Amino acid sequence: MFIGRFVILLRRRIQRSLVLQIALVGAFWLAGEGIVRAVGLPLPGAIIGMALTLAALCWGGLDIGTVKRGADWFMAEMLLFFIPAVLAVLDHHEFLGPLGVKLFAVIFVSTAAVMYVTALTVDLCLRWRERHELASLVE
Amino acid sequence: MSSQAWLNEPVARAAAWSLATILFYLLAKRIYRFHPRWWLMPLAVAPALLGTLAFVLHEPYRDYIRGTGWLVAMLGPATVAFAVPIYEQRVLIRRYWAFLLAGMVMGSLTAMASSWALASVLGIDGELRLSLLPRSISTPFAMEVSGEIGGVPELTAVFVVLTGIIGAALGDILLARLPLRSKMARGALFGVGAHGAGTARANQIGREEGAIAGLVMVLVGLMNVAIAPLFMYLMNW
Repeated sequence: MFIGRFVILLRRRIQRSLVLQIALVGAFWLAGEGIVRAVGLPLPGAIIGMALTLAALCWGGLDIGTVKRGADWFMAEMLLFFIPAVLAVLDHHEFLGPLGVKLFAVIFVSTAAVMYVTALTVDLCLRWRERHELASLVE
Repeated sequence: MSSQAWLNEPVARAAAWSLATILFYLLAKRIYRFHPRWWLMPLAVAPALLGTLAFVLHEPYRDYIRGTGWLVAMLGPATVAFAVPIYEQRVLIRRYWAFLLAGMVMGSLTAMASSWALASVLGIDGELRLSLLPRSISTPFAMEVSGEIGGVPELTAVFVVLTGIIGAALGDILLARLPLRSKMARGALFGVGAHGAGTARANQIGREEGAIAGLVMVLVGLMNVAIAPLFMYLMNW
């Protein structure tokens, strides 16, 4: 009885606070990192944290309203977290010059090809399904 | 000399570089809001400004990342955050998972094959060519695969970052030209092609696109780690 009321109050408190929601997302991340370290899984801790969050949302009774704003904040500012990593390029002087141009060409053309093939595959599958469903409706 | 003495304190230095990174990020975001051109995207402008500053102050990358590594670590909770849009789109994902899987398989094969072929044509071989193969997936996965197949994980990490920048810009250009009907195809394009940086971009385009990109980014990473030994087996055969 007491615990039930405490959970309801806590949930309401977290639903109102962006900072607490950010902390909750962070707690799931740390839990994921902890599990990976304890069990010695060959996976990034963040992936386990994501699986834990998803499991808690689906089956653990975690209310979406207690993580949604925190999660939205992390996703909206995600580019910031990439910026220090981008500067690693400065450390590789060997990539300035002809080799750099070649590497850029490989990455540019290959990435375009990957995006093109992926999107077209998914889109063609969907169109095929649409046509299939339409045909079965006509019959 | 004394005016610069505080910069030698590791904590003050870390705080200063972290603050500079955040300020340049906010500035770059502002510039992009008023001038949304692909070559003005924050992921290119902010590092360019920071790189110039680091160059002028003679700050080596080693020292810069020591102070700002915690920002990169925040990619961890940012990845966890994608559980929310995936949960919200679960009905759509459950219905079309086979199509997304087809896109991921085709995309991964294209990534490996085209990197290998293009590198060979341009005379890049050995470790460098192998390091280019797993560049479309997010860094922790990519470094794992790179080590597995005989590449240099540190080089792969740099290629992953470059793929992210190039992919985020390329994605916009491709979206404007390809006759894609579904938000699912658009999300998959970013998630398979440009990992986290692409996912961040997809999330700005739409919630559904972001959810698909986030899901696909994680799954394609797992898939590549799983098939890397198989790839090695085929290579040696």
